[in-house]
Amino acid sequence: MKMSTSFAIAAVTVVLIGLALTLTSPPVDVVQNGYRGTGLALVYNPRDVKTELASSKVPEALPRAPDSGPAAGKVYQNVQVLGDVSVGNFARLMVSITTWVAPQQGCSYCHVAGNFAADTLYTKIVARRMLKMVKFINAHWTTHVGAVGVTCFTCHRGQNIPAYTWFTPDPPHARGIMESDTGEARPAPVAGLSALPFDPINTFLVNNAEIRVQSETALPAGDRASTKQTEWTYALMMHFSQSLGVNCVFCHNSRAFEQWQQSTPQRATAWYGIRMVRALNTQYLGPLVSVLPVDQRGPLGDGPKVVCATCHQGVYKPLFGNPLAQQFPELWHDAATPAAEMPAGATKP
Amino acid sequence: MLGGDLFDFWVGPFYVGFFGVTTIFFAALGTALIAWGAALQGTGNIWRISIAPPPLSVGLGLAPLAQGGLWQLITICAIGAFVSWALRQAEIARKLGMGLHVPFAFSFAIFAYVSLVVIRPLLLGAWGNGFPYGIISHLDWVSNVGYQYLSFHYNPAHMLAITFFFTNVLALSLHASLVLSAINPPAGETAKTAEHENTFFRDAIGYSIGTLGIHRLGMFLAISASFWSGVCIILSGPFWTQGWPAWWSWWLNLPFWSGH
Amino acid sequence: MAEFQNIFTRVKVHGPAYPGVPLTPGEVWPRQMTPVFVSLLGRIGDAQVGPIRLGWTGIASLISGFIAIEIIGLNMMASVNWSPIQFVRQLPWLALEPPPPGIGLALFPPLAEGGWWLLAGFFLTAAILLWWLRLYLMARSLRMGTHVAWAFAAAIWLYLVLGFIRPILMGSWGEAPPFGIFPHLDWTASFSLRYGNLFYDPFHMLSIVFLYGSAVLFAMHGATVLAISRFGGEREVEQALDRGTAFERGALFWRWTMGFNATAESIHRWAWWFAVLCPLCGGIGILLSGTVVDNWYLWGVKHGIAPAYPPLWPPVADPATLPGAPQ
Repeated sequence: MKMSTSFAIAAVTVVLIGLALTLTSPPVDVVQNGYRGTGLALVYNPRDVKTELASSKVPEALPRAPDSGPAAGKVYQNVQVLGDVSVGNFARLMVSITTWVAPQQGCSYCHVAGNFAADTLYTKIVARRMLKMVKFINAHWTTHVGAVGVTCFTCHRGQNIPAYTWFTPDPPHARGIMESDTGEARPAPVAGLSALPFDPINTFLVNNAEIRVQSETALPAGDRASTKQTEWTYALMMHFSQSLGVNCVFCHNSRAFEQWQQSTPQRATAWYGIRMVRALNTQYLGPLVSVLPVDQRGPLGDGPKVVCATCHQGVYKPLFGNPLAQQFPELWHDAATPAAEMPAGATKP
Repeated sequence: MLGGDLFDFWVGPFYVGFFGVTTIFFAALGTALIAWGAALQGTGNIWRISIAPPPLSVGLGLAPLAQGGLWQLITICAIGAFVSWALRQAEIARKLGMGLHVPFAFSFAIFAYVSLVVIRPLLLGAWGNGFPYGIISHLDWVSNVGYQYLSFHYNPAHMLAITFFFTNVLALSLHASLVLSAINPPAGETAKTAEHENTFFRDAIGYSIGTLGIHRLGMFLAISASFWSGVCIILSGPFWTQGWPAWWSWWLNLPFWSGH
Repeated sequence: MAEFQNIFTRVKVHGPAYPGVPLTPGEVWPRQMTPVFVSLLGRIGDAQVGPIRLGWTGIASLISGFIAIEIIGLNMMASVNWSPIQFVRQLPWLALEPPPPGIGLALFPPLAEGGWWLLAGFFLTAAILLWWLRLYLMARSLRMGTHVAWAFAAAIWLYLVLGFIRPILMGSWGEAPPFGIFPHLDWTASFSLRYGNLFYDPFHMLSIVFLYGSAVLFAMHGATVLAISRFGGEREVEQALDRGTAFERGALFWRWTMGFNATAESIHRWAWWFAVLCPLCGGIGILLSGTVVDNWYLWGVKHGIAPAYPPLWPPVADPATLPGAPQ
């Protein structure tokens, strides 16, 4: 055999082996999600599921203290959100928050030693806002979080800063007369590494641009959405899929994406989730940016934003639906949120 | 020939042969089963008839007839009919002193079918992963399986297959045009020759593959389209469970340029 | 089996280079380039490369095409801030995008907002049309039929529908696909998403029938000719004008297999129409989307072709229609 032929065969073999290494292998779990033969199914690699289960371990909740006894607001100073919680459960919650958000730094992450009432550290301001946000979610968004609810751990998972928040990206591109800033056409991690728009978050989960694009009639009747606009919705949907570790047919029958009669109940849950995230970003995360140090802001100076992945972290239900929040009734009442802050249509407690 | 002289005759223009008998058997039985399935479904609308595979819960077992068993029997008949057809083509080719290229090419189409209804379901552990037998319903299946991977266009084997399909259409149109343009010149002209064919393409693009080469190329393009189609669906699920765009991360993360 | 299958040429015959059919007297453009022989090509087909015949249309087409490619490539470079490494790394994702929908059909959009795309599209279209003219004139010059040009016209139809005719009917350049490897695939998926699933578009169905049918046909025809190449079957012009044992056997093969057959000439007519009808129907299917039909799935339901699947759960209500819903 000639040298060049053997070299060619060797090169092709190396490339093929390399490519094979990028793939996974059977066995694979396929979960049927519709009538047989429709192709409505979810596909899971059991090794990935094992990893996700391992990383979704929830810390043991401390036993509850009695609800009797003085309220925290009477005993401590400057208690603005949890004033009506008993001292015992107040302390329990504080210790739990430390475990959930700052296990390394302990109380001093938010509190000044010797003067816990002081608001000197920015982390205390943020934490107060976060407490209000958690109560807001649990009280008014059962349409999305159901009876499971959320705690600080849902997003923070033992980290000061949640692993998955969003900053407005600013990829390097030339300026001037060249076309360089179309919002798409580069690898977009949020859109599954496709070339779809790389920031659907600001458009749809901070602002409230219309997500629906498909017409509801067979013949043209005024739907002015363009093909380009559809790419933005598609990018958002990719984000949903990645964040929940599911695919498009978890919510839709792809032959008719728009039709609600052919969608799954999860699509309605997602609909409420979108509205919830918009409210969290505009009312809670947005105003926080002025408090955050500069190194915790994005490349364009904006603050972190909540996206689906912040809570879900690659799983269809955060922490596989672990009802940790049910052991902290303090996080479910929303008497502290002024009426003015309740969005139109949010469920009443 | 299998069967010796027993089946060695023609019915009209059709050669029968042993594999002609098996073809008729499987095709008739399969068609009758499809008709029965349509009757069970309660529709005569040719676009809406759909015989669906078993639910995934049946795994690799046999399902009750009305719950996917019919689909399984029809699949067996289809494979029987297709393989019989290919073997009959081999019989006929041998009879005519021809090479076996036609059944060889056809076997790639059979591979594409078998990869969808046997190989991939086997690897996934359930016959229910096959596609339904229905004109529109099989398209619904393609759509949903595609979106299981968020954007199936990013499947590299799918890209290869499509490239081969489109290049095949291009090459077929060029080859057909070239031959017709040689033997159908403008009015009053004499028919042209293979030299004219070669000259046309050399003048146009600097190269002419020639009369033998174009048939090798065409067969290669068509077979490759079928082959990579089978590969692209076998990869989806058994060898890749995420969205297909995410597969390209290996390129983006190559060590020499991912630090940027 | 130890039979030679005629897939690769075993014995390469090496004669003098063929200079081409003599030009008609009075033809201005000569043939250029001394022919060379490439051994690897000789394994599968003809080994001779060249001569080529450039003409006015050929040169103009190449220049115009080169300009288009440069516009596309340089804009892609700009989008990664002129980094050559990032250009190669991100190349499959990069694009030159059409104007945003809000600009409509402006004749001179700002360069950075689709103007370059329009320019690139103009030069690419010019290159393609000039190439069509080249192929047409080449056939006339050799006094052959113009079938190649007319087949190419079907592909040009699809190209013009996508980038020109339909955007004009829709009132927006932004409807056209971008230049870019992954981005044009995203456009294709988004187009189908916007118009309610193109699988339900009957012209899309027809186009696919002809696409797959072309693969079936070239597999059949290529294989048949190779199977009869031992009788000289690849000499199709001669076999068409004076049928020999090669195509007699080939024809009989198909007559005995499927009950009917083509001839050395007519198989090329089958092939021509299948190949040409693929982009022809495809272009129609695209053109009708958004102009005449806005949601193909609903169109299918209206015409009774959409299958119904038994539901597994109670129908899901659109939350936006429920009373007291948040916006």
